[in-house]
Amino acid sequence: MKIAVVVQRYGADINGGAELHARYIAERLARHATVEVFTTCAKDYITWKNELPAGEETVHGVTVRRFPVSWPRNPDDFGRRSNHIFGSAHSMADELKWLDSEGPASRKLIRHIGRVKHEFDFFVFFSARYYHAWHGARAAADKAILVPTAERDAAVGVSIFGPLFRGVRAIMYNSLEERALIQTVTNNREVPGVVVGVGSDIPERVQPWRSKRKFNLKRPYAFYIGRIDENKGCAELFDYFPRYAAMYPDGLDLVLAGSAVLPVPKHPRIKHLGFVSDEDKFDTLAGADFLIMPSPYESLSMVALEAWALGRPVLANGRCDVLRGQAIRSNAGLYYENFEEFAEAMYALEAAGPLNAVLGRNGREFFKRHYAWPVIERKYMEMFERLKKEPAKTSMAPLPGWFARRARNLPPAADAVNAAPKGPVLR
Amino acid sequence: MAEFQVRSDAVDVEQIMRQIRARIREKRGADYTEQEIRELANVKLEKFLDPRGIRSNLVQEFRRNRVITPAPQTVGIGDVDVFGSPRPMLRSIRKLLSPILRLFFSPTPMVHAINTMQKQQNEVNAEFHRRFRQREEMDPLYYEVIHNLVVELTRLSIENQNLKMRVESLSSRMDFDERRARALETVVAYKPAPRPERIERPQPSAAPAVQTSSGDGQAAAAPAQTNQDPQRAGLEPRDQGERGERRRRRRRRRRPGQNMGQQGPGSNGQSNVQGSVQGPGSGSESGTFDGGRSDDGRSASDDGDSDE
Repeated sequence: MKIAVVVQRYGADINGGAELHARYIAERLARHATVEVFTTCAKDYITWKNELPAGEETVHGVTVRRFPVSWPRNPDDFGRRSNHIFGSAHSMADELKWLDSEGPASRKLIRHIGRVKHEFDFFVFFSARYYHAWHGARAAADKAILVPTAERDAAVGVSIFGPLFRGVRAIMYNSLEERALIQTVTNNREVPGVVVGVGSDIPERVQPWRSKRKFNLKRPYAFYIGRIDENKGCAELFDYFPRYAAMYPDGLDLVLAGSAVLPVPKHPRIKHLGFVSDEDKFDTLAGADFLIMPSPYESLSMVALEAWALGRPVLANGRCDVLRGQAIRSNAGLYYENFEEFAEAMYALEAAGPLNAVLGRNGREFFKRHYAWPVIERKYMEMFERLKKEPAKTSMAPLPGWFARRARNLPPAADAVNAAPKGPVLR
Repeated sequence: MAEFQVRSDAVDVEQIMRQIRARIREKRGADYTEQEIRELANVKLEKFLDPRGIRSNLVQEFRRNRVITPAPQTVGIGDVDVFGSPRPMLRSIRKLLSPILRLFFSPTPMVHAINTMQKQQNEVNAEFHRRFRQREEMDPLYYEVIHNLVVELTRLSIENQNLKMRVESLSSRMDFDERRARALETVVAYKPAPRPERIERPQPSAAPAVQTSSGDGQAAAAPAQTNQDPQRAGLEPRDQGERGERRRRRRRRRRPGQNMGQQGPGSNGQSNVQGSVQGPGSGSESGTFDGGRSDDGRSASDDGDSDE
């Protein structure tokens, strides 16, 4: 079996959520099939500037073909178009221009997919909202499998994605909430889909005392890993934590790891470690009382899965349906929607308390049951086998004509998403 | 205060969150939404009292921008003014032709009327100016008073916030201590023992017997001391004497390599008290002591001792 993984960026040093997800999946599928990765030369997800050389290289044993980006993204232009598409009535032509503006626009990549589509059994496209996934899936519709990595944002409601979600062969969802959102907005229940997610390379042995000594972490702490950004809920975290620290002088410290876009407040109980290695990350996570995930928008939090794999509970932002749903289904984490809940949940999750060990144990079980690599690999392989046997149930709808594309009759994209039911999916 | 009930490993996160919310409601008193709380927190008074928003140079700023209103000019009018001009030639022509003009109308009543009105206007202006000047002289005082009020209010606000935080901090500490105490109470295993009959201790007349047996007089000294202030510990003197004895016995039992039945030769003299009061088989009481407390608050070993 020959599989192509198509993703916007790819590399051993590229740690974006969807990109890391794609790399893990490509490396794991390479054990069962011949895998090639098609990607762009971009490293920066803001501008998609060509920084890596075009051509072929091997990353962790997987062949990677890079194609140049035809034009970089202009963030101002993209922002203006996004506001227009998400917030007001518009035409399909506007949406297509928005997609071109979003990028990463690599025409060579799309042409290559069209040229080699007969050589591959399936094309796995990551991140549905980007140029490469939309055009690539249309170029090889009868072999396209989509990993949407969609959050609850207005982009899901853009009308050009409806035919995409309805026209691919299968969709590998990250969570029940993501599936519910996409199925509600695009009405694609006919398309085979499975909730898979992604595993993680958890080290067999972690040494929490090593990182505690290295980073001088003497007090118990809650841990946050990721980009320190307002979009990730860090501003709210920095508002809540000092208030919690004032309420609980003997409570936990907050330790942060990751690059800081938002300034980290100077507080005696907040410690920023900067960008850390995987070894340090896992050691520090293992030494933490629990992991904090303040982000309100997540399609799947890999660090939350890693925390559960290490037997650490998670304190999640309750406004993120996915994290809240996972915390409830796993019985391995608490969530908050305001400061009081944050403070009480922090207190309840302290390692010295009665909940921590129980939730941590549940988390480990949850990870093993749903996100261990054998489970993930099996789900992918079963889907491939199924699609090989079954004929395509749906086909990609063609674009309407020139005049129809220019009719300003499409509602704001945000309206479609807002109309979809909110909240975690509990079953 | 409500506790998180974790009775088994099968926890239910939703139930825990319900408990947390119930607890928050209990603390908060009224079930305000987060939005309502934010609105309450953002009322204008808070903004006004924001210490960062206070201009410490309020009075200086006012003094710098202060403008003193000049006194109004008094203006009069006369014949000269009616026919006058800054240009000498024009003034001469007007003077020359003034009789002709006066032939047609008399300007004197007009000048008189204007002068009267002007005089009244000057009086009004002078009064206005006087009052305005008074007001201007008062303004710095008002500003100073307002400034002081703002500073005091800010200080009070900060102090209030500090006190609130301290109260919250103390509350959380107390909460923690309370939980810890409860947790410890639940952790300690009870060893229910039959409550022994309370045997009346010999009254002070029996004390010398103990004193004699101890040989050092300490046993007698303790009850004597407690008798001086029996209410200080809220105990009867007899109970205090018993407790002192029990404490000494426990200390001796805890000595490594020694118990009631195995005391070294050197300790012989000191063990006379216990040796004399401890019956056979009482050495096993140290084995029954498990750190628990009997229902009346005394340890199991204490109860055993009371049998003597």
